Amino acid sequence: MQNIQSQRSQSRYAKGYVLYNKPYMEEKNSDITTEQLKEKLISVANSRSRSDYAMLFSYFAPKILAFGHQRLSTQGLAMDLVQETMTAVWTKAHLFDADKGAVTTWIFTIMRNRCFDMLRKVQHNREDTVSDDIWPIFETAEHVEPEDHMLTNKLMKHVDELPPLQQQIVRGIYLQELSQQELASKLNVPLGTVKSRLRLGLVKLRSILEKHHD
Amino acid sequence: MINYHPNDDMLLEHAKGSLSLAMTTALSAHCELCSICQEKLTTMTQQHAHIALIEEDAAADELETSIDLDDMLNSIMLLTPSSTSERLSQSAIVTVKGHEYQLPKAFRQQVRETWNGLGKISRMRLETDSGDARASLLHIDAGGEIPEHTHQGTELTLLLAGHFEDEFNRYGPGDFILLDSDHQHTPKTEDGCLCYTVVDAPLRFTKGISKLLNPIGELIY
Repeated sequence: MQNIQSQRSQSRYAKGYVLYNKPYMEEKNSDITTEQLKEKLISVANSRSRSDYAMLFSYFAPKILAFGHQRLSTQGLAMDLVQETMTAVWTKAHLFDADKGAVTTWIFTIMRNRCFDMLRKVQHNREDTVSDDIWPIFETAEHVEPEDHMLTNKLMKHVDELPPLQQQIVRGIYLQELSQQELASKLNVPLGTVKSRLRLGLVKLRSILEKHHD
Repeated sequence: MINYHPNDDMLLEHAKGSLSLAMTTALSAHCELCSICQEKLTTMTQQHAHIALIEEDAAADELETSIDLDDMLNSIMLLTPSSTSERLSQSAIVTVKGHEYQLPKAFRQQVRETWNGLGKISRMRLETDSGDARASLLHIDAGGEIPEHTHQGTELTLLLAGHFEDEFNRYGPGDFILLDSDHQHTPKTEDGCLCYTVVDAPLRFTKGISKLLNPIGELIY
């Protein structure tokens, strides 16, 4: 038993996704303070820090998975819950309002709400998302909707300026929402090619955008 | 002044997200009206979040070994941040017999168009997740009364507007009243009221001629 335990904790480190912040991760998870979690999330919000996100991911994903297993019973649904919750943490980090509560409370709220809606969908075939009406998520109010359309339009214009091969990949991933693997088989190119074209395309897009914002 | 509150167990189950839609809606609506319970709920949510996301190490460790989440992590980081908070903050408004009521946010996607009426009583049936439970908005016009009845299961009444009285008490907006099968009561209202009710079994009327109403008990609640 002792032996199995130690193998388990070793495999935690053997996984790629926890290696970003090694000295940090060698502490026991529960030693991470609320303050540190907040710093990580704010760094994701402000600078899209991948390493800090990866750290938050490795910290929270297994716990969300455990919660999902308890509530949703099946592995697939529990994984969906991890995906939906952690996607919101990545895409909405900037909406987190530290004055209104702790990071754990924010993430828990997202997780509980998504889980509630998923259960309704599975058990009663309901497609609505009532949970955010029932438990409001504390977020900073943003009024950027009109700008968002403009941004989308502007972005689309710039996507048109990309070389055709990169354009194809960027459109496939972001507009058709295909996975990289799906796109690779669809276009009959190796996955690595998809990855590198996507990377090139995004770098190019960024430089176009920067030029236009100056 | 709100005098009747949900107990702590119910609040905690609500914080955890483990109640049915009908019940959890009632708790959410009560907390929107009652700052004391709202504060309790906030504390409980914090505490439970800590338990679920900080302390739950053992179960998480167990699962983690067998599952590779790398692909998920990488695919998530390809996404761009969402620039809108998809919050729709408008609240639900219902109109019945010439009165307009603004409801707590929990009802926003649950209200329907139609009211069914029987004399001074109007009812809008809401969706529930569990087969036997019935959830309704119930409007009773000034001077209205519901015949004395008991409940086979529990009956939850959340008073949203106006007042009503029964043999026990007088109730006001925000009051959260949970009665079980031991209680018999005859609610009546002088000034009219709007309630949200959840009954987990149809009502049974107990008194004289109103026993005839038993078959339509389902119709009222």
